[in-house]
Amino acid sequence: MTATVVAPTPTQIPSGNAFARVFRAVRANRKATVGAILLLIFILIALFPGVIAHDSPSADNYTPKLGFTTAHLLGTNTFGQDLWAQVIYGTGSMLQIAFIVGAATTAIAVLIGVAAAYLGGLWDGSLSVLTDVLLVIPLFPLLIVIAGYAHGDSIWVMIISITVTSWSYTARQLRAQALTLRNRDFLEAARVRGERKLYVIVVEIIPTMTSLIVASFLTNALYAILFSSGLQFIGLGNPNQVSWGTTLYWAQSEAALQTGMPWWALAPGICIALLGTAFALLNYAFDEIGNPALRPVRKARKVGRARG
Amino acid sequence: MTELLKTDNLTKHFKIGNTLSRHTLHAVDEVSFTIGEREIVALAGESGSGKSTIARLLARIYKPTAGTITFGGQSVAGMRSRRAQLKYSAEVPMVFQDPFASINPVFRVSHGMLRSLKLHRTDLNAAQRQAEAERVFDIVGLKPDMLERFPYELSGGQRQRVGFAQALAMKPRLIIADEPVSMLDVSIRIGLLNLMAKLRDEEGVSILYITHDIASARYVADRLIVMYAGHIAEAGPIEDVLTAPKHPYTQLLLSAVPDPKAPLAEVTDRGEPPKVIDPTPGCRFRWRCPLAIDTCSTVTPPLTELAARHEVACHVAQSGAEVKAFV
Amino acid sequence: MADQILEVCGLSVDYVLDRGNVRAVDDVSFTLDHGEFLGIVGESGCGKSTLLFAVAQLLAPPAQVTDGSVTFRGNNLVGLTDKQLSAVRWKDMSVVMQSAMNALNPVKSIGAQFKDVLQAHGKPSKQEVHARSAEVMRMVGIDPVHLRSYPHQLSGGMRQRSMIAMAMLFTPDLVIMDEPTSALDVVAQRALMLQIKELQQQYGFAVIFVTHDMSLVSHFSDRLMVMYAGQIDELGRTRAVFDHPRHPYTRGLLDAFPSIRGPKAALRGIPGNPPDLGSPPPGCRFNPRCQHAVDKCFETEPALFGIDGSLVRCLRVADGSINQ
Repeated sequence: MTATVVAPTPTQIPSGNAFARVFRAVRANRKATVGAILLLIFILIALFPGVIAHDSPSADNYTPKLGFTTAHLLGTNTFGQDLWAQVIYGTGSMLQIAFIVGAATTAIAVLIGVAAAYLGGLWDGSLSVLTDVLLVIPLFPLLIVIAGYAHGDSIWVMIISITVTSWSYTARQLRAQALTLRNRDFLEAARVRGERKLYVIVVEIIPTMTSLIVASFLTNALYAILFSSGLQFIGLGNPNQVSWGTTLYWAQSEAALQTGMPWWALAPGICIALLGTAFALLNYAFDEIGNPALRPVRKARKVGRARG
Repeated sequence: MTELLKTDNLTKHFKIGNTLSRHTLHAVDEVSFTIGEREIVALAGESGSGKSTIARLLARIYKPTAGTITFGGQSVAGMRSRRAQLKYSAEVPMVFQDPFASINPVFRVSHGMLRSLKLHRTDLNAAQRQAEAERVFDIVGLKPDMLERFPYELSGGQRQRVGFAQALAMKPRLIIADEPVSMLDVSIRIGLLNLMAKLRDEEGVSILYITHDIASARYVADRLIVMYAGHIAEAGPIEDVLTAPKHPYTQLLLSAVPDPKAPLAEVTDRGEPPKVIDPTPGCRFRWRCPLAIDTCSTVTPPLTELAARHEVACHVAQSGAEVKAFV
Repeated sequence: MADQILEVCGLSVDYVLDRGNVRAVDDVSFTLDHGEFLGIVGESGCGKSTLLFAVAQLLAPPAQVTDGSVTFRGNNLVGLTDKQLSAVRWKDMSVVMQSAMNALNPVKSIGAQFKDVLQAHGKPSKQEVHARSAEVMRMVGIDPVHLRSYPHQLSGGMRQRSMIAMAMLFTPDLVIMDEPTSALDVVAQRALMLQIKELQQQYGFAVIFVTHDMSLVSHFSDRLMVMYAGQIDELGRTRAVFDHPRHPYTRGLLDAFPSIRGPKAALRGIPGNPPDLGSPPPGCRFNPRCQHAVDKCFETEPALFGIDGSLVRCLRVADGSINQ
């Protein structure tokens, strides 16, 4: 019998469905709350940009090179565009990339990683070779090559190229975890009662990996933000699109920092950092929620004898 | 006693090592035994004896390297169709050792049971399945409202009862219980052992009880099979084997069981499990046996009946000499 | 008193959790003499492993000692820094863990791990390291050639014996063992217990042996301590506890072991489950499962009561209303 020193099991049975439990977990954890609020703010900005920024980002008939004014909160750039509007309207495409790439990358990784682990044999061999090849190729240079070649006007070029190059790392992780689960008794029990292999993979294995899958989604979303803004910054995105990366691109090419318009570069940069932080905080928080050993430790006050 | 399951020279070898040095691990070698209806047969042995492998062979998780398994008169290896396989897994379900790993933690406790019912009792509709789940929970001593709980809310003993309930839901004829109480607290074990006896007496289910704890085997089982290094050393009615053990290994095992009422037997055997990789013919117990003779090194002793339904695989015992080792 | 090597006084250990403190060890006191073998027996959740870790000062957050003292050879170990403890650790007190596979480093040979321990407490020369390592291996009956082996190459029994050899490197005065035989089979278990007893008689160290299996220590321990829900329920000389168990829990435990000899009896075990230590039942913690419980058992928490050389925590034993 294993008698490791574990904290006693809880009596409070969490009520409500999964959403209620997640909500409570987020509220209880400081990192999660901050991250969630930040993310929520950005989502609201992306959904209702017109409410917050009264100007159109592409309208370039304003006086250029203005500093902070009441009409233009962050001033204007050399083309006479309102910077506040640029930053606000750029949120949408960035979030779009983050969520779609995050979800797609994770979905592909789950499929390939878990299938490889559970099916084993030739399946594992071939899927692992595929994963390893993509893993070994340096991501960012590969991205540059693909994006440069598939220079497209659509944001989907960016999304697809990042997805295609990012799934391999997560697939490896998920395969490793699925391998440790493969011999768990409850999976054997499922096979013994006559379940088919596909059922076991989808219904029995994957739900037990939710915390790793959620963490992967958050990580991949974070990297999508960084990679896409990086690509856009070096000019491989669509320069006419309104997004933080392209704003940075134009700021760079117009030497904004040197010519007295620092907020042209700083504003989108800070936004990228804040959104990335939101995802990172949520990631840490989910780790802590899933693994109590990682939670911050509180010191106990010395308790006297309760009885005489 | 009607014969329910019969194995004939059941053998399972595993290939180990890499391409440069391949060896064969003999997990189970030429094991023949029968299980009748309404009978609890205990399969006892140390780790490495092959008892868990036999469980998995009977549950069709492994395919035998040689030998046959016959259930209800039909060959198990011959069951190719999905229907036949499903029928077998319903009639011969398995209960696992680790109560914390044998139930999927993500779903409610009813999940496995309802899935089993859906797969095997296709004549029932949803409401009937629910009713059946509650009925089976009642038999194993769990309250029906526990169906809606999650595994982490249940204790180890309760989880093992869920395991038995899942097996029972499929209307089994033989339950393979792989060390079902080893990981439970002592005061909880008796409850589950009593449940197993109840299943035999009231539900008419046979149980193959795999364990390394001879005392618990004595408490519930009708017959005992002692395994050593992949072979059967001794088999017979449990009281006969325990009061008059004929194989030196059985005697060693019995002397090592801690018993506060008996004086301490100063057994000098180190307890080293045997290596069953590329074995040579001969008795695999000979290195630890104080009674070993020349034949033991060259001829593998066959399982022979020496008393009423009491079989032993030992040259010394078969020669008629009295076997008194480790006593 | 001069013979006493360890005194645990009023020790309490809490787990500091979000939902409040859970008291895993509640006001435990006992003493240990030189060369004495104390068996601590109980089921999962009773606090025996937590108690062991507290005595060895190996508790990790969220577990903390919240009250009491652990006086080893005159020094209170509670509150000492790691540096102060390392003077005591392994030289005077060593620990044998439950599972060698968890405690031994899988990527280092046994000899390398012995060397680590020897070098952590001094500056021995290479010959001294090898000589002492070989000596302790022979002490436990393992050929010193296995110093070169990795843990996975040894059998379960040999691994556990290497753990004991490692604990003997400095021939400490006290060896604490946490279920060292639970992963072993019956024959290996017997061999290990005999080995431990032999070493103890030869080198005279005291042993605290934690297990869930009472029968295992019945022939080896001098005194036996039965724990339940974080408290000591019974403490006395081993033979006394086995032959005349007084606490209803102890009797229930003894009755729950089927035996291979003698008449076959129908056993009941102990109904119910151990309590949730976050909210223990009022009064005596055993009352939900006790067949002798009366009204006052649900109101008053019993204290340890001395009777015939044993200590028992039961109101009905204290007032004599249960006939032994």
